[in-house]
Amino acid sequence: MLCENCKERPVSVILKQETPNGPVERNLCDQCAFNLQTFSFSPQQEPMSIQQFLSQWLTGEAIQPQTRGNQGMPECPECGLTFHRFLEIGKFGCPVCYDTFRERLPRVFGKLHNGSTAHTGKIPASFNEKMTIRKKIEALRASMQEAIQEERFEQAAVLRDEVNEWKRKLAAEPAEGGISDGE
Amino acid sequence: MGNDKYMQNAVTGWMVPHGEHSDIVMSTRIRLARNLRGFRFPISFPHEEAEKIGELIADALLIPEKKGYSYTRMSDLKKLDRQTLVEKHLISPQLADAVMYGAVLLSEDETVSIMVNEEDHLRIQCIYPGLQIENAYQKADETDNLLESRLPYAFDEQFGYLTSCPSNTGTGMRASVMLHLPALTMTKQINRIIPAVSRLGMTVRGSYGEGSEAPGNVYQVSNQLTLGKSEKEILAELANIVSRIIAHERKSREMLLGKSRLALENRVFRALGTLSYARLLPSAEAARCLSDVRLGIDLGLIEDVDMNILNELMVFMQSGFLQNYEGEELTSEELDSSRAKLFRERLQRRTEDSSRNPESP
Repeated sequence: MLCENCKERPVSVILKQETPNGPVERNLCDQCAFNLQTFSFSPQQEPMSIQQFLSQWLTGEAIQPQTRGNQGMPECPECGLTFHRFLEIGKFGCPVCYDTFRERLPRVFGKLHNGSTAHTGKIPASFNEKMTIRKKIEALRASMQEAIQEERFEQAAVLRDEVNEWKRKLAAEPAEGGISDGE
Repeated sequence: MGNDKYMQNAVTGWMVPHGEHSDIVMSTRIRLARNLRGFRFPISFPHEEAEKIGELIADALLIPEKKGYSYTRMSDLKKLDRQTLVEKHLISPQLADAVMYGAVLLSEDETVSIMVNEEDHLRIQCIYPGLQIENAYQKADETDNLLESRLPYAFDEQFGYLTSCPSNTGTGMRASVMLHLPALTMTKQINRIIPAVSRLGMTVRGSYGEGSEAPGNVYQVSNQLTLGKSEKEILAELANIVSRIIAHERKSREMLLGKSRLALENRVFRALGTLSYARLLPSAEAARCLSDVRLGIDLGLIEDVDMNILNELMVFMQSGFLQNYEGEELTSEELDSSRAKLFRERLQRRTEDSSRNPESP
């Protein structure tokens, strides 16, 4: 028997409805039954959990239940938080989580902070010095490459020495945040 | 009044009207969330880490220079005392509940309070009276620099200050201004302002933050975004929005005064009557009447009530204070009666003064 609605697919659902004129029986295929919005969920799909809803909203992708806790879902080595759990509770477990989930975070922050994904505010003094030196080294290296390309080897050697000098200074800087932790 | 001394001690810097627009702006608060590298966040840390963090922070502020801070563990405070600190806005309700590991460092004048092991390891908070965004930030920043020079902060080049909740990541800064907006509330314009402000990346809510109502028409305007904007930009935007809201409130007050002066006077003096003579004062009614009397003073309708007293009462009328004041736990009817008594006593001076210098009829 064909579905009385689409007259294409075979009947798989017999739908009994109470109407003001008495009960009515309808023979439908599962797709039409679903499309008629008589069901609150698709026969192939479970209703969406809050967690799926949140993870879709925060990352723009659904996390399938079977990938729970493994298969490309990083786990923080410091506190054991999984990305899945992070989406569930909306909180990080420790500062290392930021490193663990680094690749996925711009998407999360973008949603929370109106599209912004990078900090532009205050930098602690100790970090600031290190960052300045790192930027300096990057710039010197770029000039050095340029000099090599243009075969100005003497200048490239001077720049190389300068890079090494800054690298020594960087190594001598105390660890970020005042207390040395052997970084 | 036997407990006058207790009440005097209970007055905190931000309760004394001061600063620009002090008729509308009650206080300015800056909060910086910071965490220490090498430790898990309070949501998941074990006992030893919690203890260690408390020690490190106390050492950083207490031992080296004796900066005039006091360190108090939540576990050493009675429930009522913790509640009193919440009512003075010196700690969050969340810290008051964190009895196990929470602590607070308070500066002598109570303008700086540093919460330890709340949602983050550190929450530096500065409250100033009136509109003092720059000053409050400067003080918070100074305290932050001092702590940063002695503690290993969790900071990342890309994400900034690393916090437990991603909604604080970046600057970790929440800047808020508490505003008394009776005219915007009475004229229902506040319902249009709240969504407009939130489109600009700021939020407006009741004085106790998320989910709280606005008792006494006191609203808190604060920044929502902490990532992608510098502290300066955030503070400038907040100042801009607050100044617009103040201008709106002033306009509405003038309009009310011009169009319905008698109705306004009636409302304001009825409120003063209730506060001066009631025998039972539920907190919602007290907050409503305080708001009306405050408006009456601001508009020059009431001239013989001191704004200082009103600001104090706004804090003292809360249940933690009242129970501390009475020295015992109270039932809700006892609270309403104690509150009424407190208001009568505090406003007594006014009636005594005016009976000596009676107003012309």
